[in-house]
Amino acid sequence: MSASANTGRMEQFTYDDAIVRKFAWATVIWGIVGMLVGVILALQLPKPEANLGLPYTTFGRLRPLHTNAVIFAFAGNAIFTGVYYSLQRLLKARMFSDLLSKLHFWGWQFIIVAAAITLPLGYSQGKEYAELEWPIDISIALVWVIFGVNFFGTVAKRRERHLFVAIWFYIASIITVAILHIFNSMAIPVEFLKSYSVYAGVQDAFMQWWYGHNAVAFFLTTPFLGMMYYFMPKAADRPVFSYRLSILHFWTLVFMYIWAGPHHLHYTALPEWASTLGMLFSVMLWMPSWGGMVNGLLTLRGAWHKVADDVVLKFFVAAVTFYGMSTFEGPMMSIKSVNSLSHYTDWTIAHVHGGALGWNGLLTAGMLYWLAPRLFQTRLYSKKLAELHFWGGTVGILLYMVAMYVSGVTQGLMWRAFDETGRLTHPDFVETVLRLVPFYWVRLVGGLMYFGGMCLMAYNLAMTWRARPAKYEEPVYEAPALSSQPVPAEKIVSPMEEEKAPVAGVAYSLEKFLLAAWHRRWERLPVVFSVWVAVAVIVASLFEIIPTFLIRSNVPTISSVTPYSPLELLGRDIYIREGCYNCHSQMVRPMRAETERYGEYSKPGEFVYDHPFQWGSRRIGPDLHRVGGKYPHLWHVRHMENPRSTTPQSIMPPYPWLLTDDTGYSKVQGRVNAMAMLGVPYGESINRAGEFARQQARQIGSEIAAQGGPGGLADKEIVALIAYMQRLGTDIKKAPAEPPGQPVKTAEAR
Amino acid sequence: MKLTDVMSGAGLAIYAEIALIIFLVVFLLIALRTWWPTRRKELEDHGGMPLDDGRQAGAAHGRRTP
Ligand code: HEC
Repeated sequence: MSASANTGRMEQFTYDDAIVRKFAWATVIWGIVGMLVGVILALQLPKPEANLGLPYTTFGRLRPLHTNAVIFAFAGNAIFTGVYYSLQRLLKARMFSDLLSKLHFWGWQFIIVAAAITLPLGYSQGKEYAELEWPIDISIALVWVIFGVNFFGTVAKRRERHLFVAIWFYIASIITVAILHIFNSMAIPVEFLKSYSVYAGVQDAFMQWWYGHNAVAFFLTTPFLGMMYYFMPKAADRPVFSYRLSILHFWTLVFMYIWAGPHHLHYTALPEWASTLGMLFSVMLWMPSWGGMVNGLLTLRGAWHKVADDVVLKFFVAAVTFYGMSTFEGPMMSIKSVNSLSHYTDWTIAHVHGGALGWNGLLTAGMLYWLAPRLFQTRLYSKKLAELHFWGGTVGILLYMVAMYVSGVTQGLMWRAFDETGRLTHPDFVETVLRLVPFYWVRLVGGLMYFGGMCLMAYNLAMTWRARPAKYEEPVYEAPALSSQPVPAEKIVSPMEEEKAPVAGVAYSLEKFLLAAWHRRWERLPVVFSVWVAVAVIVASLFEIIPTFLIRSNVPTISSVTPYSPLELLGRDIYIREGCYNCHSQMVRPMRAETERYGEYSKPGEFVYDHPFQWGSRRIGPDLHRVGGKYPHLWHVRHMENPRSTTPQSIMPPYPWLLTDDTGYSKVQGRVNAMAMLGVPYGESINRAGEFARQQARQIGSEIAAQGGPGGLADKEIVALIAYMQRLGTDIKKAPAEPPGQPVKTAEAR
Repeated sequence: MKLTDVMSGAGLAIYAEIALIIFLVVFLLIALRTWWPTRRKELEDHGGMPLDDGRQAGAAHGRRTP
């Protein structure tokens, strides 16, 4: 390999596999935890009482735990396993610092534990996949920097000149994830575990899905592609099918992925141009993704017979096939007309699980089975169990996905069905939910099969580990050091020159330009390479973000929209704490089926004080943006205490503690002040938030009593929540120009 | 005059288009360079890098993971 071109003296070194073993175990353990929580959630939908009636285990609080655990704990540790193993070997160098490796490992596990504690307790920023509160966010940034230093330190001391394409994918991931995390998590801390996003409404939504989409790209796709390009050749004992294709694959993803983010926000209050741009780029992304899939699969050329009896290859082939499926489906779902049906339904859930369980999960399993004998230096305990894992897991995902497709399309069609008289066929939302319950059971079975496979893998790996040698052998390798200078420019000879190829003069000059020294230099200088990746990512991001933030027409002002009153703000915080956004959207799309069902469609200007936005992405329950004034207060009291008392077949969890827990008035002043710092015009409430909040609560409390409800609720959380819900979506119905900051009168209960 | 007014008047769409064109050109150059016929061998040789774990000290040639 190119090491032969090195001029330095021979050096000896070892690889740090102890750290790879640690990350591998963490992957297995957190995978099981994350998926177990998923299984519990799947059970809670058809059987809400499976939450045991505890606040900590309700759907809205557990769902963020599930997504965070699977993405950041399971997939995250899988990435680190793959990176730490492959990077050292591809660079012929031990990790830069064993200490940093350990800090990285323990830091990341600490973050996961912190997430596992705080999310069930209801500490949440209320933004999907970015729920963790600010102290944890800061820890994530720190640990990521540690990882980055360790990574680039290793690159700097490498003994291999050329950076293999997998490393490009890793670099793009490290840089982009850092950018995404920092900008999306911008929030001002209010309390130790409470903060408000600095962005509001449309802009917050835009940032969030710029982040969410690109986290899928640069956390769940590019690192795993890097791993594919390393471990697939390993397992097949074949070089990458086309290295040049892999280079193109890389650059197309880097150039195009970022622009596709707005496809998560079709038909919302997002500007039309942004949404169309997102759609176009998403459709274009299909090409490079399939190029990558083909490249992965064709790496097996001439080795297909091995797939039959090599379980690792089975996992890889299935994983890459799922990558192809997801990257076909994704662009399809980003087409607006498809999206109008699929969005907010289980179709999205099917799509993400095809990606997460199929692509990430199976690739990780294949990698772990391949690594186990090498890391534990003994034979894999049982190939049979691994085969069982493969078949159980694969059939499990398919069951899961088919159930969710059927359920998604069913519900989507029911939402938009009109009868001959032009009225909604299913005006009662819960009717569309009940139809899904059988599919929820099938999904549970599929999920259990996949989860069972994970447990089999844990057992298999544990047994393999038990058979490890008393002391791990640590082979010493040798390779010449790189000379500190990249190959001097004049030494680069054009292959054409060398071969004296008979080519036209133009082609020759073009070649000279293309192969010019500056080009080679930056390819070989990781820093410069990284800078280019960062530039591509940042430029694309800026062109999405700046206009959304700074062009006035994107968020037209509506003069009747005023800030939430202090009590409503507290209620909103309860809404965020309980994770209601995991089941409810607050975004009525401009389609007849939606305006008939919910009322006037949502306008960008209505969300200007929403730090953070709460548009949601899945409607397990109905949209709530126009729920203000729809029911009397008392209905909400009864419904929150036990949804089945008002809606007999509801699958919404009960929230009885809201009727007994006191509203945290002591906190309200700080929160209003924080909002004011973000530019929300709070007027007088800046000094008298507590007073205003109590006043409004007393009024609602007495209205509840007047409606025949229980007395003494005024200081309970339920009243704050009701204040918020009755306010939702009512501003545009009011006459403009109430002075800001006054406690806004609760919408008249009908 | 507020920043939003400045930005609204700046005609940003054109810059987005310019950025896109620059991206496209850079990408085409990368593509051209990658698929340049005489680079084929140099590049495709890299495709085998994962198979090379390095030479074990004392061994005669590169060790491939079994
Ligand atoms: C597991 C998903 C789930 C969660 C979590 C959830 N809901 Fe619901 N919600 C539903 C479903 C399903 C319905 C429709 C059936 C019903 O009326 O109970 C519903 C209905 C509602 C309604 C009536 C809407 C209407 O127009 O009729 C309100 C209000 C509501 N939920 C508020 C909340 C609040 C507030 C929270 C958080 C504290 C919350 N929900 C959490 C599933 C959920």
